[in-house]
Amino acid sequence: MRRALPFVFILAAMLVWELAARSGLWSKLLFPSLVNIGNELVLFFMSPERLHEAWVSLYRALGGFALAAVIGVALGMLMGRSRTVAAVLDPFFSGTYAVPKLALFPVFIFVFGIGSLSKVALVFLECLYPIVIMSYQGARSVNKVLLWSAQNMGASRSATLRRVVVPATAPFIFAGFRIAVPVAMIVVVITEMVSSADGLGYLVMYSMSSLRTDRMLAVVVVIALLGWVLDKAVILARDRLIYWEKLDTYYV
Amino acid sequence: MWQLAPLPNFLLSPLEIATHFLRALGSSEIYEHAWASLGRSLPGFVIGSTLGAALGLAAGTARWFDRLFSPAVFLTYPVPKIVMLPIFMIWFGIGDLSKVLIIALACFYPVFINAYYGVRQTRSILVWSAMNMGASRAQIFRRVVLPSAAPMIFASLRVSLALSFIVMFAAEMINARAGLGYLTRMAENSLRFDEMYVALVAIALLGYAGDRLVRFANRRLLAWQELHA
Repeated sequence: MRRALPFVFILAAMLVWELAARSGLWSKLLFPSLVNIGNELVLFFMSPERLHEAWVSLYRALGGFALAAVIGVALGMLMGRSRTVAAVLDPFFSGTYAVPKLALFPVFIFVFGIGSLSKVALVFLECLYPIVIMSYQGARSVNKVLLWSAQNMGASRSATLRRVVVPATAPFIFAGFRIAVPVAMIVVVITEMVSSADGLGYLVMYSMSSLRTDRMLAVVVVIALLGWVLDKAVILARDRLIYWEKLDTYYV
Repeated sequence: MWQLAPLPNFLLSPLEIATHFLRALGSSEIYEHAWASLGRSLPGFVIGSTLGAALGLAAGTARWFDRLFSPAVFLTYPVPKIVMLPIFMIWFGIGDLSKVLIIALACFYPVFINAYYGVRQTRSILVWSAMNMGASRAQIFRRVVLPSAAPMIFASLRVSLALSFIVMFAAEMINARAGLGYLTRMAENSLRFDEMYVALVAIALLGYAGDRLVRFANRRLLAWQELHA
């Protein structure tokens, strides 16, 4: 009974939905039946064109994320290990942290065009912040005793970096990745909803304009699945690479 | 560098942006749009954060509620909430209500999760001491659990405030008749680059001011805690 409790809430929510759909009180447009949504979901996975839309969204998200990961980790670690770099970049990142970078999207469209590039650039920018901030925090808080011991034992600067600083920062870097992955998905979907002719965000808007709520909700489920899988992939990579430290309870 | 480089017409130099912005401050239009935007993002932020904090605290404290409710939250956490905007527009109309609710939904998650873990990270020795000294359950919650969860809740308020601006802006770009997102979109479509940058600066300033306000409240209310940010 206790183990079943989590499912009770989800099942109850689905049941209420289905009852609302079948009651006839509201139009099918408002509450499409779960059966219809499921049908659309199956259609989605069987249609190469729609799978292609998912692929387009995925590579935009991953492209921007990967760029942000490479550059963000490098910047964050530089800031953590060098006071000069931190003094220059920290005010910039903490000052612009709360500014919605999405507002730059129209400018990006003019600079990078309406294709994938402007979206990847915005994903990169939004993902950069959590990654830089977390790796900066990690690199800054490396245990001094470990650094001193390494120096004492005659480790070179590069050996210290590789064997002490990077492993000590890694958990923070992955915490930053876990914040950045959903952000990448959000930005991709938003930019595709605002201005695009392909991708899952576009499919949402398109189904909505053609009053196919069931299809739209099926796409929402696909986006949810994608976000969930990416999140699990980051956790998996983390547990593989940082086997010496168990995942902190933060964000399960 | 930006100021000196020869620029295409869609990139204005900082000086031009500043003059356009100052001129726009003299007209009433920018205030109307900013007001419309704040009228959506702030109620959404308040509703979402309050619900998130309340339910997060409840889930962190009561085990049955945790088992019932938390899995659904964690399952839907990585979903970009903005995709629900079209269906919210069908349910609640294309007016402000659907936008406020979608912002509330987006703000709910980070606050819920931080409140939840804030409670769970309460040091058991503090709770035991309180129990040992004969504190009631309500007292333990108010004097021990709440203060120890508060720093994490405040940290998440910064996140959810930033989120509320992002979602507000996105919702306004997709569908609105007023607001800074709408202004940006209209300016973009009519190639009025000066207006586009005015809206951009306005939203940046609002976001920055909001963040400062949350940090100020944090320092005031949680004076005992050393701030690292």
